[in-house]
Amino acid sequence: MIHLPLAHLLSEPVGVSHYVMVGAVLFTCGVLCMATKRNALGVLMGIELVLNGANLNFIAFGSHVLRNDANSLGLDGQLISMFVIVLAAAEAAVALAIALNYYNNHDSIDVDRADELLG
Amino acid sequence: MNLHTLVDSLLSDTLETSLPLFRPELALCGTIVLMLLVRVFRCDRLLPPFLLAFAGSVVALWLALPAEGLASWAAISPQEIFTGMLVHDTLSAYVRIFLLAFAVLFVVLTQLTGIADRENGQDFYTLVLGATLGMCIMASANHLLTIFLGIEMASVPSYVLAGIVKGRRRSSEAALKYAIYGAGTAGVMLYGISLLAGVVGSAHLPTIAHELAALDISSMLAPGGDSSTVMVLALGGLMLGVGLAFKLSAVPFHFWCPDVFEGAPAEVNAFLSVASKAAALTLLVRIGFGLGFVHETPHATLATNQPPAAIAQVSTTAQPPTTFAALKAEGIVNESTADQPLSPVRNFFVVLVALMAIVSCTFGNLAAYGQTNIKRMFAYSTIAHAGFMMMAVAAAVALLGRDPSQSQAAIAALLIYITIYLFMNLGAFAVVAFLRNEMQSEEIEDYAGLIRSCPMTAVMMTAILVSLIGLPPLAGFWPKLRVLQSLYEAGGPLMITVLVIAGLNTAISLVYYLRVVKVICIDPEPDTRGPISLGFLPAAYILVVSLPVIIFGILPDKVAQWAEQATMHLF
Repeated sequence: MIHLPLAHLLSEPVGVSHYVMVGAVLFTCGVLCMATKRNALGVLMGIELVLNGANLNFIAFGSHVLRNDANSLGLDGQLISMFVIVLAAAEAAVALAIALNYYNNHDSIDVDRADELLG
Repeated sequence: MNLHTLVDSLLSDTLETSLPLFRPELALCGTIVLMLLVRVFRCDRLLPPFLLAFAGSVVALWLALPAEGLASWAAISPQEIFTGMLVHDTLSAYVRIFLLAFAVLFVVLTQLTGIADRENGQDFYTLVLGATLGMCIMASANHLLTIFLGIEMASVPSYVLAGIVKGRRRSSEAALKYAIYGAGTAGVMLYGISLLAGVVGSAHLPTIAHELAALDISSMLAPGGDSSTVMVLALGGLMLGVGLAFKLSAVPFHFWCPDVFEGAPAEVNAFLSVASKAAALTLLVRIGFGLGFVHETPHATLATNQPPAAIAQVSTTAQPPTTFAALKAEGIVNESTADQPLSPVRNFFVVLVALMAIVSCTFGNLAAYGQTNIKRMFAYSTIAHAGFMMMAVAAAVALLGRDPSQSQAAIAALLIYITIYLFMNLGAFAVVAFLRNEMQSEEIEDYAGLIRSCPMTAVMMTAILVSLIGLPPLAGFWPKLRVLQSLYEAGGPLMITVLVIAGLNTAISLVYYLRVVKVICIDPEPDTRGPISLGFLPAAYILVVSLPVIIFGILPDKVAQWAEQATMHLF
C-alpha cells in the first residue's frame, strides 16, 4: 500500500492541521496569483488570498475547540486576525486608489507595462 | 483572578504606566485628527497644515525628550507597556527622539521646497505623521502583532507618499510598484508570523524566546532528532525576514527601491531612506534580541502587579511569572557555555542577516556606478548603507551570547550610524530637491560646474558625499569604524568575511560618490544654464542640516555618548 503524505488527515477527526492545510492552500494560490497575474487588480486579489490564509492559521491556532492545550494562542490569535482584517481593508483601499491613479496616467493597469523605471 | 481584579489591573496598567510613556505618539495622533478636523470645518486659512504639522511634531519631540536631561536615561529600566504589546526602554526612547526630530526637520523641508501646498498639505502631513507614528511603534514593538501593525502603519502611508505628485507618469508607476511589492511581502510576512506564533503558542517576543529555549532545538537538529518543528520555525523565520528585508530594501527584496526613489519626489526619498530605514533596523534589533535572548523584562512588571503579558491568555493556563526569573537566572549561568538553548536561533538570525548584509552592500555599491539620475544613485547608495548597518545588527546578535557589553557597543555603533546618516541623507536630498525647483532636472550631468553658480550648496554637497564614503575628517567615518570594530570583536569566520567585504565596499563606493563630486566641482558649466539662486531660507536650511556632518566629524564624542547612554541599560 502506498503511503501518501498527509493521507492521515483524511481519517482523522477535524483538528488544527486541517485548518492549517486549507490556510496553506490559500497561501499557495495567493502567491501563484501574485506571481502570474499581469493585471494589478489580480495581483491585489492574490495578496488578499495570502492574508486570508494567514488569518485562517491564526484562528485555528487560537481556537480552544481545536486545540485545548497550553500551547494554544488563545484570544491572541483571534485578536490578530481582527486587526489583519482591518489592515487588509486599509491596504486594499490605498492600493486601489494607487491603481486608479496609475490607470489615469497610463490607460492600463497591466503591471508588465510599468517598465518606464527600470528596476 | 476574577474579572474585576483583571479589569482593575488592566485599567491601572494602561492609565498609570502605559499612556504616560506613550505621550509622544498620542501627540502625533492628536495632530492627525486635528488636521483632518480643520479641513472638515474649513478653517485651513486660519490654521495652515504646515503650522499644525510643525507644532504637532515639535510637541511630540518635546514630550519624547527626557525631562531631566539625557543623563537620566540611566534610570530607565526596560518596561513593558500595554500588556506587553510594546516595550519602553532606552533604545526605543532614543529611536523615538530620532524619528520625531527627523519629522520636525522634514516638515520644515517640505514647506521650503513647496511640495505640500495649500491644496494637498493636509493629505501630505497626515500621511507623514501617520507613517512616523507607525515607525515609533516599530521601534518599540514587543509582540508579533505590533511588529506587523507597525510595519503596515509605516508602509501604507509611504505608498501614497511615493505617488503624491499627481499627473506624473513616473510617480504613479513608482507608487504602484511600491504598493504591490509592499503588500505582497507584508502578506508573506504575516503568514510567517502565523506559523511562528502557532508553533510556539505565543506572539509575545520574550515568551517566544522562553518557549524556544524550552524546545531544545539543538537536540532536534541532532541526527535522529525530529526536525519537522524546526523546519516550520525556520520557514516562519524566513518569511518574517522577507517583510523585514523589504522594509530594509535588502537584496533580494530591493527591486522597488531604485524605481520608487526615481519616481517619487526627493523629499519623500529623504523620508524613506532615513526614517523608514532607521525604524526597520531598530525592529531588526528588537527581533534579534527578542528571540535570541531570554529577557528580564517580563517579570519586572509581573512582579509589581498582575501579569499584564498574560492577560490576553488568562483563560488558558498563563505562564507563571516565576519561570521567567528562574530561566533568566539559569540563562546567566549558561551564558558562558557554548550549548545555550537559544544559540541555534541566534546562529540562524546571524547567518541570515550577515548574508543579506554582504549581498546588499556589494550589490548596492556596484549598481550605483552606472546611474545617471542622482536620485537613483542615492537609492543604490541607500541599499548599500542599509547593508552596512545590518552588519552591525549581525555583530550585535552574534556577540549577545558571549559578551553583552560588546553587543551593546555594536548597537551603539548602529545608533550612531543612523544618527549621522540622518544629516547626510536629509542634506543630500534637500540639495536635490532645491536644485530640482531651480533647474527642473535631477540628472547628475546637469549639476556640472555647480561650484561656480552656487558655491555654498556645492561645498555642502561635496562634504555630504565625502562623508557618505566614510573618509576620516567627516562624520561618516566614525560609525563605519565602530561597525568594523564590532565585527572584529564578534570574530569567527563569517564575521571576519563580513569585515573584509565591508572594507572592500568602502573602497568601491569611493568611485561613484567622487564622480558626482567631480561633476559638481571640476566640470565646466554648461552655457545653456541660467543663473541659479536658491534664496536665503533654502540655503540656510542646507547649511543647518549638513553642518553636523562636519561638526560631528571633528567632535564625534557627543553622538557617541548619547548612543552609549541609550544602549547601556538594554539588558
